[in-house]
Amino acid sequence: MDLSTEIAGVALRNPVLLASGTCNYGQELQAITDLSRLGGIVTKTITPLPRAGNRPQRIVETPAGMLNSIGLQNPGLDDFIANKWPFLQTLDTQIVVNIAGHTIEEFADMAARLQDLSGIAAIEVNISCPNVKAGGANFANSATASAEVIAAVRSVTRQPVIAKLSPNVTDIAEIARAVEGAGADALSLINTLIGMAIDVRRRRPILGNITGGLSGPAIKPVALAMVWKVFQAVEIPIIGLGGISTAQDAIEFLIAGASAVQVGTASFVNPNAGVEITKGIQRYADESGIQQLSELVGSLQT
Amino acid sequence: MIDEKAEVLANDEVAEDFYLARLDAPHIAAQAQPGQFVNVEVSTGFSPFLRMPLSICSVNPEVGYIDVLYQNSGPKSGELSVKRIGERLRCLGPLGQPFSHPKTGTRCLLVGGGIGVPPMIFLGKTLIEQGFEVVTMVGARSAAKHLADDLLRDAATRVERATDDGSWGHHGLVTDLLRRELTSDRSCVVYTCGPHAMIEAVAGVSAEFDVPCQVSLEEYMACGIGICVGCVVRVKNPEGQTEYADYKRICVDGPVFDAREICWEA
Repeated sequence: MDLSTEIAGVALRNPVLLASGTCNYGQELQAITDLSRLGGIVTKTITPLPRAGNRPQRIVETPAGMLNSIGLQNPGLDDFIANKWPFLQTLDTQIVVNIAGHTIEEFADMAARLQDLSGIAAIEVNISCPNVKAGGANFANSATASAEVIAAVRSVTRQPVIAKLSPNVTDIAEIARAVEGAGADALSLINTLIGMAIDVRRRRPILGNITGGLSGPAIKPVALAMVWKVFQAVEIPIIGLGGISTAQDAIEFLIAGASAVQVGTASFVNPNAGVEITKGIQRYADESGIQQLSELVGSLQT
Repeated sequence: MIDEKAEVLANDEVAEDFYLARLDAPHIAAQAQPGQFVNVEVSTGFSPFLRMPLSICSVNPEVGYIDVLYQNSGPKSGELSVKRIGERLRCLGPLGQPFSHPKTGTRCLLVGGGIGVPPMIFLGKTLIEQGFEVVTMVGARSAAKHLADDLLRDAATRVERATDDGSWGHHGLVTDLLRRELTSDRSCVVYTCGPHAMIEAVAGVSAEFDVPCQVSLEEYMACGIGICVGCVVRVKNPEGQTEYADYKRICVDGPVFDAREICWEA
C-alpha cells in the first residue's frame, strides 16, 4: 500500500514526521538517517529573537521517559532564515516550521515573515511549551487566548496553520474546538506534560529550571486518550504525538483518530526511529490489506 | 558516525566498581580519535530508557574493537555491567570533537580523575605513538579505586598518582602534582577529564602558569548527536554573537573544549 497522505493540503510521503525540538534543524540527523524517507520534519521552535535557553541541568531520565527543560534555545527568526532555512530547503521532505512568541503580535509578525519563504509546508504554532514562563504556556491554558493567537497567525499567512496543544489543561477538547474555530487547519497533540525530579541527597530539583516537560513512552497512554477525545470534538485533522517509539504505537494513534504522527523522544534513543516506524507501518498496512491510510484513521471500534 | 550492533567481547571488573568492556565495533574503531565517545544502548526496553554515553578508552582498528571503561554507579552502568560475552548492543559513534594535537616537541600533561581516566588512556597512547613525552597524573579516592598499572603503562612516559587518603602515591590532590610538573617546566600542554571540580581546578592551575589546557566535559546527555540541545555548558560568548551562543552542546561542540572558553562560575 501507498502510505502517502495529506494533512491540511500538505502532501506527505507517509504519515511520519519528526517532532519539534527532537530534530533541531535537520542537519545532525541527516548524517545518520535518511530524512527523505519521512513524511516531514518539524523544526525546533523559532522565536522572534535569539534565546539562550535554560541553565543546565536540562535533561534527566525518568521511568520510561525523560524530562527536559531546554527553554527554547534557538537562534531567532533572522538567523533561522539566513542560516538554517537554506539547508532545510535542500531536504527532500516536508518542512514544518514551529514558532513561538511572547505576545499575539509576535506570533503574527513571525508568521508574516515566514510567508516570504517558499517551500515551507506549514507553520506549527507552539502555544504549549511548558518551559518558558512568558511564552506559549500562557496561551495554552486559555481557549480564548489560544484562539486569538491562531486567528492572528491565520490572518497574515496563506500557509497551513497547525496549532500544537498542551496536555496541561483541564479540557483539551475545548481548546481544540476554539483553535479550530479560529482557523487552524490541523492540530498537533500533545506537547510534553509538566513534571519534576528531585535529588533527595541535596533536596534540590534535578533540573536547573526546577520543572520540565515529560516525554517518552511514559506519556503515550495520556496522548492517545487526548487524541481520541479531540478526534470526537473537531473536524480538522490531528497529528498525534507523545511517546511513539514503535510502528505499533504510531498505528494506535492513527486508529484513535490521528491522520499523521510525530516521532519525538524516540529519536534520542535511536536516530533512525522515524524511518523504522515508517517501515513498520508499511508492513502492517500490507499485511492487513489496507488500501488507503484513511481506512485506519479514527477506526477505533468502541 | 555509525550505529553499530556491537558484540560484547569482554566485560570485566578492573578496579573497585570499575569495569572494562570490549565491544566489536570495526567502523567506530577505524574512525575514533582520542576524546570522542560512543552512545550505547544498554537496554532495549524502557528501563533504563536513554542510551549511556561512554568515552572511548582505547581502540584496535586492525582487529576492529573498542574498549570502554566505566564506573558501576547507576542504573545504566549496572545494566551494562551484567552484559555477557556475545550479547549485542547498539553503539552509536564515534561522537564529539576529539582532543587537538600539540605542537611537535611539546610535553603533554594528562590529568584524569575517577571516571575521567579512560579518555586520558586513549589520548596518552596516541601521543606516545607519535613520539610525545606524556606525564599522566591520576587522582582517586583510594588505592582500590586506582586502575592497575598495566592499563596505564602504554599510555604514559611516566604515571603519577594521588589519593585522597594517601593509600597510593601523593596524599592529596592531583592538582598538587600538576603544579609540581608545571613549576619544573612550563613548556607543556595540559589535557584533563574528570569530576567538574577537578577539571575546573586543573584549568585554573593551567591558566596560572599560562599553559594551554583542553578539558573534556560531561553533562547529563540524551541523544549524543546535538538534536536535543540538552547537554550544554555555558561558554564565554564571543563578541558579535547573540545569546543563542551562550550555551554550547557538549555532545557535538565538545566534549573537548579549550578551558579558556568555559564560564566556570556558571
